[in-house]
Amino acid sequence: MSTTHGLIGKSVKRVEDRRFITGHGKYTDDIILPGQTYASFVRSPYAHAKILSVDTNAAASMPGVVAIFTGADVENVNGVPCGWQVNFKNGHHMKEPKHPLLVADKAKHVGDAIAIVIAESQAEAVDAAEAIVVEYEELPAIVDASKAVEDGAPQVHDSAPNNICFDWALGNPIEEVDAAIAASAHVTTLDFVNQRLVPNAIEPRAYNASYDQYNDKYTLYTSTQNPHLIRLLMCAFVLGIPEHRVRVVGPDVGGGFGSKIFHYTEEALLTWCTHKLRRPVKWTSTRSESFLLDAHGRDHITKADMGFDASGNITALRVKTYANLGAYLSTFASCVPSYLHGTLLQGLYTTPKINIDLVAVFTNTTAVDAYRGAGRPEATYLLERLLDLAAHEMNMDPAELRFKNFIPPFDGVTQPGYQTQVALQYDSGNYHGVLEKGLAMLGYEDFRKAQKEAANNGKLLGVGFSTYIEACGIAPSAVVGSLGARAGLYEVGHVRVQPSGKISVYTGAHSHGQGHETTFAQVVADKLGLPMEDVEIVHGDSEAVAFGMGTYGSRSLAVGGSAIIKSLEKVIEKGKKIAAHKFEANPEDVDFVEGRFVVKGTHHSAPFSDIALRAYVPHHYPAGLEPGLDFSSFYDPANFTYPFGCHIAVVEVDKETGKVQLTRFVAVDDVGNIINPMIVEGQIHGGVVQGVGQALFEGAEYDENGQLTNGSYMDYCMPRADDFPMIETASQVTPCPHNPLGVKGAGEAGCIGSTPAVVNAVIDALWSGGHKVKDIRMPLTSERVWRAMQQ
Amino acid sequence: MQLTGNHVVEASPAKVWALLMDTDTLARIVPGVTKLEKIDDTTFKSTLGVKLGPVSAAFNGNLQMENVMEEKGFTLKIQQNSKVGNASAAIEISLTPLEETKTAIAFNGDVKLSGMLATMGQRLIGGVANTLSKQFFSNMEKELLP
Amino acid sequence: MSIRINVTVNGVAFSHEVEPRLLLVNYLRDVLRLTGTHVGCDTSSCGACTIHVNGKATKSCTMLAVQADGCEITTIEGIAPSDDELHPLQEGFRECHGLQCGFCTPGMIMTAADILQNNPNPSEEEIRVGLEGNFCRCTGYHNIVKSVQYAAHKMKEVTV
Ligand code: FES
Ligand code: FES
Repeated sequence: MSTTHGLIGKSVKRVEDRRFITGHGKYTDDIILPGQTYASFVRSPYAHAKILSVDTNAAASMPGVVAIFTGADVENVNGVPCGWQVNFKNGHHMKEPKHPLLVADKAKHVGDAIAIVIAESQAEAVDAAEAIVVEYEELPAIVDASKAVEDGAPQVHDSAPNNICFDWALGNPIEEVDAAIAASAHVTTLDFVNQRLVPNAIEPRAYNASYDQYNDKYTLYTSTQNPHLIRLLMCAFVLGIPEHRVRVVGPDVGGGFGSKIFHYTEEALLTWCTHKLRRPVKWTSTRSESFLLDAHGRDHITKADMGFDASGNITALRVKTYANLGAYLSTFASCVPSYLHGTLLQGLYTTPKINIDLVAVFTNTTAVDAYRGAGRPEATYLLERLLDLAAHEMNMDPAELRFKNFIPPFDGVTQPGYQTQVALQYDSGNYHGVLEKGLAMLGYEDFRKAQKEAANNGKLLGVGFSTYIEACGIAPSAVVGSLGARAGLYEVGHVRVQPSGKISVYTGAHSHGQGHETTFAQVVADKLGLPMEDVEIVHGDSEAVAFGMGTYGSRSLAVGGSAIIKSLEKVIEKGKKIAAHKFEANPEDVDFVEGRFVVKGTHHSAPFSDIALRAYVPHHYPAGLEPGLDFSSFYDPANFTYPFGCHIAVVEVDKETGKVQLTRFVAVDDVGNIINPMIVEGQIHGGVVQGVGQALFEGAEYDENGQLTNGSYMDYCMPRADDFPMIETASQVTPCPHNPLGVKGAGEAGCIGSTPAVVNAVIDALWSGGHKVKDIRMPLTSERVWRAMQQ
Repeated sequence: MQLTGNHVVEASPAKVWALLMDTDTLARIVPGVTKLEKIDDTTFKSTLGVKLGPVSAAFNGNLQMENVMEEKGFTLKIQQNSKVGNASAAIEISLTPLEETKTAIAFNGDVKLSGMLATMGQRLIGGVANTLSKQFFSNMEKELLP
Repeated sequence: MSIRINVTVNGVAFSHEVEPRLLLVNYLRDVLRLTGTHVGCDTSSCGACTIHVNGKATKSCTMLAVQADGCEITTIEGIAPSDDELHPLQEGFRECHGLQCGFCTPGMIMTAADILQNNPNPSEEEIRVGLEGNFCRCTGYHNIVKSVQYAAHKMKEVTV
């Protein structure tokens, strides 16, 4: 039996692992239902083309074909909606062109779906889809966001002139920022691209929709990060079917990283088809389709100026960004470059004047939405690149420059939170602490010596810093509501005490690798003084869990965990009443200590299981005391949480070839209190590798016709095991002052901090060899680094 | 993608021209052709099989000659469709007499790929195009042998 | 046109009529319903489908079911000595948190088993190079490397 208390802060091994390591996980594609049919799609090979005709005749008579539907069939069905409304600077609503389930008139990106074929087997569906003949008239395509706004550029949607979805600004008045920049002793300017990434969860998206006509009940199995949100969006906005007739299950999900938050057209289309056919319909994306369809990440074109006074204090920051949204507005696409990006431009610094000007643009490319970090990596990249570059330009030490500009430590309890220039109020922070710790782990002084020596011997070593902050624990509903979110971002936690005293916990958060079944059970077992095996965590099924907003934005523990705590408090309160009744004491005189209800000052006590049983066998209950021990709570956070940290990368650059080798990576993260250090570390490792992936390997490449030219694992360079050293991690703990667990969230930290650290390290290596390079476009391939050295 | 190259063959422009204008010969010398059908003087319907690394595909479509200048050259417009994506191209082909029995054949044009051909094939197409044009000329030389 | 194949999977003999184009991975998943072997790509790049064919790690998406006729196959479901025990690698992955979403895990374990079979004492570098054909998007590989080291250690203890 595991220890009954003190579980918080322990690296408990994961409960869910047993099924995964033995091959018994259950992912959506593993499910085959009685009467199963299979779907395959006809997709546009062109980025922009009129659809002149679709001939399904030959296909319809092929073996095994059950049905074929085209754009014309779903013309009266709504498109998939966007969940966050952002307004133009002039107050008008952003442009929201329809994203239809199948396109009838015009394909707007490669992969746009034109027809769906449903057949008895997967192979027959694919064969028939290939027999459908589509006649296209190819139109000129637009790929680059900054060019898409120019007059005369191809128009993706007639309803969005100049391809602009919205424009937006945040921060201090631009005149003030301009003046502060103009008055600065030094200005560092960067023109750069934060390139487009393909999320690449290793499990491809998969859906299986079925309809039981006798009970008028739909079931959708979906590889999603948030089953309830999918049900809400699909029922209320797309298909108009009542929610209580629809069960959405997100079973085991093989990684998400944002890409499985969104409501995709295939989810709604399959649900629509199963109703027509009265048979289950299943579709699993091929990897080639994933590359073309799963919402991509990043894709910003930015110009940024940071001003400094003569002694290196930041005076102002001015940012102009074009954000590429792709061909359609994905579920949260609008808030990523705006509210999740612009609001983080304060970073860890006391910058007194900040302004961001943003244009969000449609192009003939795959939709772009939240990808691990979502907006915050872009903000961090911008700030941290500027800081290191400014240090080089002003001949200062990059660590010193940061210390000089850090916001001083504040705990958010005895000292107030820090009000930024860009709307947010940070909860608590000790930014000096993480950098000091990072420098010590690195052995900074020794490194600089080694670097000099190496340079004398013709070798290029570099170190790069990134001290980041993120807004997590998404999100206080009132705040996001005022910013345009069309949903509240609370979470639901339901604690059901079984008569035997065992606990079932139902959470609206969803685990797709994060280990909720372990972490949440640790919290519950610790609070109730029970062994972990007495606690079961249920998630991912709209029928089991009352409601939920799902998992993204490093929110599960901070928001979902807090909801569970609220319910646990109610359980204990009620338990005290039952115990008081048992011992004929006053409820106020009952304490709950280490798993027992104790009457103060007496030797009367009862274990939790005894009270649980009494709750369900309520003989001789007094009036007013209800049987049962079962509570549900909604927790709406008071603020975002603000994890932060310091990432330091060390690289060696080959002078002859430009090849970059990452030799060390130090990550000091402050994610508030930690429930399970093993799991938190794992999150950091994974995030760091993804972030380094952006810096060194990954990037979606489009040609000028809108064709994704590296849409497979043969050409899109995924980070591999042999690209990395062991990652050196450490933590600092500054508790979150406004949630009961004091936690801040750890899912995105690694991915946010690491990218600029690596790029800064490469730039530092080049400066050490006398190459005063300002920027190299990511990913930093050997060729690009080599070219930069030749300038 | 730009497609350019040239080659010198041991034959008079008239002989080369006659070859290029004959459907049956063309079907023999263009690599990958499984069927070539003359629709009218300047239009052909074709079926081609091409392998591009991992992607091998059967193409259906049209070949069309424009700006035909007897024994001097023409523009070949290609529109080929397949399950894995489509290819379209406009290629200028010109014949220059060098000696009595020597002709330089030059080609120059732009090829556009779409769909899976573009996502998976782009990286390889340069090499494949090179091989195909080499094959084309060596086939032509065989035809020209007495 | 179907072709009859005879295979032994995790010690059990099977005989089935299969279509000539059926991939081995689909035979395992859809016909035998051994869904622990996963599909992560269509270019034989990700390694999620790795199994053992005649004792050697093989990407089951690169093989047709008919090619497996007469072969001995082991999948993740059959790598442990019994239903109640774990293979040292399975144990290693759990002890060292070598998995998060678990999707790459079966393939990782099967590949790692092959590495250890050929080299019971691999260095960190050798493990990393050996796993180069298996993608993991969650763990950053750090703990996977540790898991393999754990298993290598454990397997030595057992054999001594
Ligand atoms: S599915 Fe076999 S290698 Fe990816
Ligand atoms: S654990 Fe998720 S891909 Fe490896």
